[in-house]
Amino acid sequence: MTPESTLEVKNLDFYYAGGVHALKAVSLYARKHSVTALIGPSGCGKTTLLRCFNRMHDLYPGNRYEGEILYGGRNILSRDVDLIDLRSRVGMVFQKPTPFPMSIFDNIAYGLKLKGLRKRSELSERVENALRGAALWDEVKDQLGKSAYRLSGGQQQRLVIARALAVEPEVLLFDEPTSALDPISTAKIEELVVALKRTVTIIIVTHNMQQAARISDTTGFFMLGELIEIGDTDRIFTNPGNKLTEDYITGRFG
Amino acid sequence: MEEGGYIKPDRDDPGTGEATALPGPVLSRAEPRGLAAFFRRRSPVDVLFATLTGAAGVFIIVIVLGILGVLLSESVLSIEKFGPIGFIFSTEWNPVEELFGAATGLFGTAVTTVLALVFAIPVALGIAIFLSEVSPNFLKGPIGVAIELLAAIPSIVFGMWGLFTLAPIMADHVEPALQSVFGDIPVIGQLFAGTPMGIDLFTASVILSIMIVPFAASISRDAFNLTPALVKESAYGLGATKWEVIRDVILPHARLGVFGGIVLSLGRALGETMAVAFVLGNNHQITSSLFDGAASITVTLANEFTEADSDTYLSALFHLALILFVFSLVVLALAKYILLRAQRKERA
Repeated sequence: MTPESTLEVKNLDFYYAGGVHALKAVSLYARKHSVTALIGPSGCGKTTLLRCFNRMHDLYPGNRYEGEILYGGRNILSRDVDLIDLRSRVGMVFQKPTPFPMSIFDNIAYGLKLKGLRKRSELSERVENALRGAALWDEVKDQLGKSAYRLSGGQQQRLVIARALAVEPEVLLFDEPTSALDPISTAKIEELVVALKRTVTIIIVTHNMQQAARISDTTGFFMLGELIEIGDTDRIFTNPGNKLTEDYITGRFG
Repeated sequence: MEEGGYIKPDRDDPGTGEATALPGPVLSRAEPRGLAAFFRRRSPVDVLFATLTGAAGVFIIVIVLGILGVLLSESVLSIEKFGPIGFIFSTEWNPVEELFGAATGLFGTAVTTVLALVFAIPVALGIAIFLSEVSPNFLKGPIGVAIELLAAIPSIVFGMWGLFTLAPIMADHVEPALQSVFGDIPVIGQLFAGTPMGIDLFTASVILSIMIVPFAASISRDAFNLTPALVKESAYGLGATKWEVIRDVILPHARLGVFGGIVLSLGRALGETMAVAFVLGNNHQITSSLFDGAASITVTLANEFTEADSDTYLSALFHLALILFVFSLVVLALAKYILLRAQRKERA
C-alpha cells in the first residue's frame, strides 16, 4: 500500500457480461483527501472503473473483475466483501440528479435509516449537517417536508450529494455530476467538491477537461480501456508525458 | 409553482399545461387559428389525413353515445314503472309478477369485483416485482409469455373450468376449511356461513381474480420497469438491500402506474360475464355469506334475455344495463380523477 493512498487499483481487468473487455490492466491509486479526476473519450472505461469502486457492476449478472482494488488494506473485489457495508463507505453521485420519491428530509435521512438510526433528534441534526455540507441548507431549510422533486436540477444534485454525505462516507465517487446542469449550478458543485476533500477522498469522472483542471489534484487519462497516463493535474495539463494525452487535452480528438 | 424563486420553471408538467410565453414567432392576431387555419394552410394530403383520423376519433364518441341512446330509450318503460332511483334500491326481482329492481345485481357485481381485486392485487404485485427485480433473466421470458397467454384465454373457458373443476374443489376442500377456521368467530363468521356448494360469490370472485391478474401484473411490471436505473443504483449506492430498494424507491415510483393497472382490472372485473355466469348461481338476493349464490348485472343479462317474455321484463334488463354502464363510467371517471390529482400532487 502506497502511503497516504485510500484506494489502490492493481492490475485490474474488467469484462462486461457480453464479453466486452472494458478495462485492461489498470493500476493507479487515489491519494487520501484529494480529488482524482478520470478523463478520456467516451467509452474509454473511466465510468466502468468508477463503478468498480462500489461494486455497482454486481447488480447486473455476468460482469467479471480480475485483479485487485485495495481499500483499507483489503481487496474489495473479493467475494466475501459485504457490499452493503462497502457502499455505505463509498458513496456515489450520478450524471443526473436522482432524488427518491419522498420528502427532502427523508431523502437525506434515507441512508441513515438504512443503517438503523431512528432517533428523530439525531436524524434532524445529521440531516442539517449534511445539507450544510452540501451548501443547500439555506435554500431548503423551510421546506424539508416537501417533495424533493420540487427542487431545481442543481439543487437536486446538491441534495443527492448531501444524501451521500449524511452517511459519512470515506470516499465519494462522482460520475459526470454536472453534465446535466447549467453553468451556475456547475460552479456550485465544483466549489463543493473542492471543499469536500477536506473530509472525504474524491474520485470524479468528467468529460469536461476544464473541470478536471479546475478541481482535481491528480488526473488520469484513459483510452480504449487503458490508463494512458496519470499524474499531478498541473503537470498533465501543462506538460503531458504521452502524445495521446497531449492530443486529447489540446482537443485534437475526443 | 410558488414559494421562492429557485424552483425550476421548465419541468415537464403535464398537469398544468401552461403555455410558455415565448416572444417568438410573429403570428398576427387577425389570422384565423384552430381548425379553420389548419385546413387553409395545409397540403391536401395533410387535410385528408387529418379528416380520416379525426373521423375515427369522432366515431368512438358516436358509438358510445349511440349505445347510451339505445339503453335509455329501451329502458323508458322500466324507468316509468319503477322510477329511476327506486329501481336502483329495490331488491325485488320477480318475473312472474313483473316486479324488478337493480339492488341485487349491483350487490353481486360490487361484491365479486371488490373481492376479485382483493385477491388479485397482492398476487399481481408479487408477479410484477418478481419479474422486474428478482427473477433471473432466463425465467423472465417464460413467465411473461404465460401471463400473456392467461390474458388471451376466452372468458367462457374460465367459466367452464370454474364450473367443472374449481367449484367442486371449493365445495369439498377450500370452503369447508375456511368455515372451520373462521366460522365460529362472531361477525366474520357470518361471511362463511351456510352449506358450501361451490356455486357462490366466493368461487366467482376467485375466478374473476384469476382473470384480472394478468392485466394488473403486466401493467405493474411495466410501471416497475420505468423506475430509472440511476435512481435504483443511488439507493443501492447508499447501502440498501434489494428489498429496501423495492419498498422505498421502486414501489413509490411506480405507484401511479400500478394504480392505473388496478383501474383497468377493475373495469374488466365490472363487465366480466361468462367467467362468472356458471358459478355465481344467479340468485337474486343480498346475502351476508360469501358461500351463497348471487346475481351480478352482467350475469343476469346473459341468463335472462332469452327468457324475457314481457315488455316490462325486457325493459328492466335494459335498465340494468344502463345502470351498469353509468356505474362503470362513474367508477372509472373517479379513478381517473384520483390518478390526475395524485399526479399533480406528486409534483408539489
